[in-house]
Amino acid sequence: MKKLLSVMLASVVLLSACSSGGTKNDTSNSGSEGNSKPKEITVWAWDPAFNIAAMNVAKEAYAKVNPDVTINVVENAQADIVQKLNTGLNSGSTKGLPNIVLIEDYRAQSFLQAYPDSFFELTDVVKAADFADYKIGPTSVDGKQYGVPFDSGVTGMYVRTDYLEQAGYSLDSLQDIDWKQYIEIGKAVKEKTGKSMITLDPNDLGLIRVMIQSAGAWYTGEDGQTPTIADNAALKEALELYKEMMDSGIVKVNSDWSQFVGAFNSGEVATVPTGNWITPSIKAEASQSGKWAVAPLPKLAATTGSVHASNLGGSSWYVMNVDGKEAAAEFLSKTFASDAELYQTLNTKVGVIGTLKAAASGEAYSAADEFFKGQKVVSDFAAWTEQIPNVNYGMNTYAIEDIMVVAVQSYLGGKDIDTVLKDAQKQADTQIR
Amino acid sequence: MISIFYFYPMIQALILSFKTGRGNNLHFTGFDNYIRLFSDTTFLTAVKNTFIYLIIQVPVMLVLALFIAVLLNDERLKFKGFFRTAIFLPTVTSLVAYSVVFKYMFGAEGIINKFLVNLHLISEPIQWITDPFWAKVTIIIAITWRFTGYNMIFYLSSLQNVDKSIYEAAHIDGANAFTQFFKITVPLLKPIILFTTITSTIGTLQLFDEVVNITKGGPGNATMSISQYIYNLSFEYTPNFGYAATVSYSIVVMVLILTLIQNKVGGDKR
Repeated sequence: MKKLLSVMLASVVLLSACSSGGTKNDTSNSGSEGNSKPKEITVWAWDPAFNIAAMNVAKEAYAKVNPDVTINVVENAQADIVQKLNTGLNSGSTKGLPNIVLIEDYRAQSFLQAYPDSFFELTDVVKAADFADYKIGPTSVDGKQYGVPFDSGVTGMYVRTDYLEQAGYSLDSLQDIDWKQYIEIGKAVKEKTGKSMITLDPNDLGLIRVMIQSAGAWYTGEDGQTPTIADNAALKEALELYKEMMDSGIVKVNSDWSQFVGAFNSGEVATVPTGNWITPSIKAEASQSGKWAVAPLPKLAATTGSVHASNLGGSSWYVMNVDGKEAAAEFLSKTFASDAELYQTLNTKVGVIGTLKAAASGEAYSAADEFFKGQKVVSDFAAWTEQIPNVNYGMNTYAIEDIMVVAVQSYLGGKDIDTVLKDAQKQADTQIR
Repeated sequence: MISIFYFYPMIQALILSFKTGRGNNLHFTGFDNYIRLFSDTTFLTAVKNTFIYLIIQVPVMLVLALFIAVLLNDERLKFKGFFRTAIFLPTVTSLVAYSVVFKYMFGAEGIINKFLVNLHLISEPIQWITDPFWAKVTIIIAITWRFTGYNMIFYLSSLQNVDKSIYEAAHIDGANAFTQFFKITVPLLKPIILFTTITSTIGTLQLFDEVVNITKGGPGNATMSISQYIYNLSFEYTPNFGYAATVSYSIVVMVLILTLIQNKVGGDKR
């Protein structure tokens, strides 16, 4: 027994010696590379059909400018990236972290502020004025730019024109409407065609977020810190509309993404008000070509300042403060941060609508789309992008939203709205610190 | 070795539970986190949900497991091996895979609803996933399906060790099957029943995969478990590892208390 134990101990010592020897070699290697010219950049992103595809297009474009740099694009699910970044940054070891990482705008501030000095400042690389206004809030801290704004989450309302016509409406009757009118149209559609107007997941408050941002409001104040739930006119109106939709029977409830996509691909819902990134999923059902169109987003009727444009999701590129940051920044500055021509390719090949203002005037953006009855969808979206109100998402969007999901449930269950909002405010106050 | 890999992380987590802050900006705040626990409605909801699962699911599952074990122990039963395997099989499936399958089976247009509607047991499809009450029922059905077979194996193996002559003697004395079950089987299996109760309790307190994959904790936190809340605090929201460690330690305390109670109630009185 003693012998066995000593053998085991010895082997453990030996093994750990080996591993430490190995890492020493590794660090000295990468160190010497870092001093001269790093030749490899690692990128983390999610969604092979969208973000990864876009990164690969940029990679090809950059190969013509600087063929010495190899760019490794690693696919991770978004949740995995969030988890890996949190554990990596928190442990204090930068080993294993990528050079460039894609982060959702709603989450950006939570990383930038929770891990100061972990991201490389890009103020010299990104000219804030070149990009859509609302993208600068999430990607910068105290006036210092950290992210290269990437895709626009600009929203629109995808509609089945055939259902609409059966109910006695046309695409024109959807221009410049508010959500109240939208619900009325929904009732008519339901009555005439039996189809639901919209599909919603009660666990996902995306629609509420879209509604409040269209009025320049958010769950928190301009500082991104103080919860503003109780006296938030836009939020109150959005919740009332949400309940009205649920109560009027125009909603087809779904419980996840695949059911959400299934609802419109199978032709069960008449409209999909959401971000432009849904276009590939809408087009996935080729048999519905020519039946869809895109109308501007309805606005809030009672809240002043609400516009027909909003944002849902959207993400940006960030450079980690690790070896090779200069090369990574250089790559981004030559591609996503400035190349309007690249965005044309991105749009035609991948369907990306960027937020670089100069890109909007390109030829790809004004192309007609046969799937949408020849509508120039991209240029419509690009035009709406410019109208999106800039709000500060702050650090706590998802934490507050979890409180809000419960609030919405109890409101739908019959509780008074002001009480519901007050309770949510109280809870947010104690939890956000 | 043991102290490095077991005790060091535990102590570290305990220290962490006295700190608060976002991401890397942690600082000591004493017992603030522990005080916060009691005013945190999300945490209290998660605890309540977990205990609902515990109080309803664990007894149902254990009684079911014991019942099946006795049936399968019957000498006269044919295809014993097949039935035992069939009931044990769920235990070896992947947690995530079965959760995803359950999610689709219990969807609004899933096979369960179609089946019930066709049998005219219900007129409208049940909103299994999106209704707060039915979502809990779905989770309970899912964990019962997966873990009954696991507990059954323990009962079955200890039933095999019970001397058949005891039952024969009881039979001659005129005890029917019912009396035999309660007077012989249950008392003899008592240590195993205690063991399965404790492991099932701990398992339920750590419930995570099913809730995350079937309902994501929804609708409106109606099915959220404590473990999922810990995950959310660490990775879903702006990370607050200090508070997450505090919540984790609350599970440790609950497991300790419940195990002590169960040992007192069910253990041998020495």
